[in-house]
Amino acid sequence: MTLENPYPFDPERATLRDAMLGAARLSPTRGITILDRRGQNPERRMYPQLLEMARRGAARLSAIGIQPRDRLLVCLQTSWDLLEIWFGAILCDAYPVLVAPPAALGGAAAHARKIEGLVELLNPRRLICDGALQIELVEFGAPTANSICLTSQEFAGITPSDRVPEPPVTTADLAFLQLTSGSTGRQRAVQIRHANVIHNARAMAEFSKVKAFTDADAVVSWLPLNHDMGLVGCLLYSLIHGINLFLMRPDTFLARPKLWLQTISANRATMAAAPNFAYQLCIERLAPADLDGLDLSSWRVALTGAEMVHPQTCRLLCEKFKNHKFQEWQLLPSFGMAEATLAVTADRKRVGVRTRPMPAGSERGLGFEEVVCLGSSVIDTDVKISSLSKPGEFLNDDALGEVWVKGPSVFAGYYNDPAATAETLHEGKWLRTGDIGFLIDGELYITGRTKDVLIIHGHNLMPHELEWLAESVSGGGGSERSGAFSVTRGSEGEQAVLVVEVGSVDAAQLQTAGHEIRTRVARALGLPLADLVFVKRGQIPKTTSGKVQRRELRQRYLDGRLERLG
Amino acid sequence: MMTQDEETILTILAKVGKREKSAIKPDDDLVADLGLDSPRQLQVLTDIEDQLQIEIDEDDAARIVKVKDIFAYVAAKKK
Repeated sequence: MTLENPYPFDPERATLRDAMLGAARLSPTRGITILDRRGQNPERRMYPQLLEMARRGAARLSAIGIQPRDRLLVCLQTSWDLLEIWFGAILCDAYPVLVAPPAALGGAAAHARKIEGLVELLNPRRLICDGALQIELVEFGAPTANSICLTSQEFAGITPSDRVPEPPVTTADLAFLQLTSGSTGRQRAVQIRHANVIHNARAMAEFSKVKAFTDADAVVSWLPLNHDMGLVGCLLYSLIHGINLFLMRPDTFLARPKLWLQTISANRATMAAAPNFAYQLCIERLAPADLDGLDLSSWRVALTGAEMVHPQTCRLLCEKFKNHKFQEWQLLPSFGMAEATLAVTADRKRVGVRTRPMPAGSERGLGFEEVVCLGSSVIDTDVKISSLSKPGEFLNDDALGEVWVKGPSVFAGYYNDPAATAETLHEGKWLRTGDIGFLIDGELYITGRTKDVLIIHGHNLMPHELEWLAESVSGGGGSERSGAFSVTRGSEGEQAVLVVEVGSVDAAQLQTAGHEIRTRVARALGLPLADLVFVKRGQIPKTTSGKVQRRELRQRYLDGRLERLG
Repeated sequence: MMTQDEETILTILAKVGKREKSAIKPDDDLVADLGLDSPRQLQVLTDIEDQLQIEIDEDDAARIVKVKDIFAYVAAKKK
């Protein structure tokens, strides 16, 4: 499919630098607004200022020795500092990598360890963070990270070098790295090319029916910029189309969800995206008085994706917002992932959320009776269902299999991880998503996963991360093997369950071990366990080679077939 | 003997964590024992800020692990 070209650049050849120049030239009166932690005091900078800021950032990065293809690890809250550094790195042809700031409560120590692991994986030239994190790196033992660390305050004090470096870059070159959880529990860095991100932003505009470079559109986002939906779906999407963007901090939304809706209403926003859990949070936390005076009629693209779209959440949301000029067609279910830059499919029919019964043979662990239509593939992109027993053999409509994706948005492999890349990219072009689903008339329905990943609040978590923590606890007569998986409770989204084998059946010992495991998980991952089950040795199903069969374990748990101890 | 502020904090934790106020102990871990995930953690902080009329610094919050840490933080803040 060809698109009319509304861009001031050739979208087939454009880089993010071209997009920055284009927005500055064609949208001088539009730009980005950042709200403070309380969702107040909006500060607006127009696209020409953003370009100027990026050039200053590039000149500062150059002054501290950042070279093309260097990795630059950035751990900052949504802020002008973050934008200056991120876009500055793009101009330098360095690869910015955003990592989430620590969790709200008690996350400091685990976070410092995570950063140290990332430094080992990426070998970045520098890490830029805030002063508090730097103190944590020293206090909690992250010596390598600390040795390359620079605070954002120090960065702002650097005298920029005279010349803004702008090395030649082509659309096939890498632009940035996107962090995601790997199957071994280690982080993986998804390599995104300039062409990938320009293509994906165009694809989103196509299904959202957005016209580039007009006043007709505005985006509001609280999503973390270290998440693909926040970075690509909101920030880069707005820049590439030269439209207004209002940025809030994730903790602003989580603390006071109504501020997101108020910002949408007050600025007549047309697009705002979020994972299912965020819509669920609005349903649960907002009282009718919180919605007083809201007019959500402008919000044409209420994108929902990044985790399973729950039909009940969609229904309750429409009910909740119906007196505020929000109609069901405004919700736009979608499917995407970091390895496809972001968007893969979207429901462009816009007739309201459509569902089908969960087909026979699909797993029930996610707790859905019906499954939401996620629409057809984005432009120039193929989505097919591959046989689970014969990967690469594509199946007909209705048949369940793994979702495979091919197209210009598919990533360029994982940084410094050829084994993971080979496993994920079939013949170098088909992305194996690890999601199970089926197609009907070219429209995708996701029913489960081949991977054992848990997706909690839109973030991927590998079961190993939980299992290692459980197995490191020596109480309760010595922990044996363990298995982690997620279950869905009502509309609350996925929650983590851990099953642990133990040798002892002493109730007091089990209680101590249970507390220790919950505490370790809380400290390391900032996550509560929905359930922790102790079972006798040998009760966790394993393959002949000793690998834990997590799906079978989950099924036994859901069926009540596990014999609990303690 | 609980202070008025501590009572208020326990009331908030009980409401957000959906459990009995009397079952919450100062030594409880907010995540491991009270089951607060990140949206609920932020809801707790916001409710404390609103009801006790204080501002909780985010860097300080990253070091709060147990119920008693909140008690100590709020007491220090009000001095």
